[in-house]
Amino acid sequence: MQEAVVIEPPSQAAQRDSPVDEEPRFQIFIVDAGWNSPARRVLHENFGMLRNLVRNDPIYVLSRENSIEFIHNHPSLLGKGPAIVVHDLAALREGGATGFHGFRLHLGLMRSEELALLALELFARFLATHRRSVDLEADVRRNLRREGIIGAIEIILHHEPRELGG
Amino acid sequence: MPERWSDYLTISMSALAVGYIVYEIDRRRRKLHDLIDVLDGEDAELTEELVRMVRNGELRPYTGATLA
Repeated sequence: MQEAVVIEPPSQAAQRDSPVDEEPRFQIFIVDAGWNSPARRVLHENFGMLRNLVRNDPIYVLSRENSIEFIHNHPSLLGKGPAIVVHDLAALREGGATGFHGFRLHLGLMRSEELALLALELFARFLATHRRSVDLEADVRRNLRREGIIGAIEIILHHEPRELGG
Repeated sequence: MPERWSDYLTISMSALAVGYIVYEIDRRRRKLHDLIDVLDGEDAELTEELVRMVRNGELRPYTGATLA
């Protein structure tokens, strides 16, 4: 695969919210079984930028073999990869894995490079701007709700739907 | 009660339009939730497996600039 790494400076919000030596808030895992897909190409081409935006948080990349084994153990991920799993360390410390403790992006559901890139950008922006959130669960749910409301407004106004959901 | 056929038609078309909007919003909401899913108690096993891999040293923070 040809890899083109695009490294851009983090946004102002990301810089403001992510001082260089801040404690990790998230653990980020990339699970990719290696399907040749537009989403995979986008992830590879923009990994450098993602890493820059979340530079205070460790990224763990599962090998292809580990990813396949992991997906085999958790079939809910099948056909949705590459997936980016984010653990909220603050939530894990507080309540363990029994309640809300992070979120995951199923990038593989995006069937075009354009949509995959849009999803990855939104995801990276969310991580960079919410790493100091005191209630990440509420923020995630609020964002999802807002996306739904914006979609509704777009439908009502007959605008071209953004169709982030595919 | 509506007195003219055109009133019935207007009411029917309005109901269809509202139904379409509700359906479309619900469809998008479900797709969005498929795309971005929160981790909760149902994902405990998945989370524990990843945490265990980090603890065991099976996974280490990735330092490369590009994905292999």
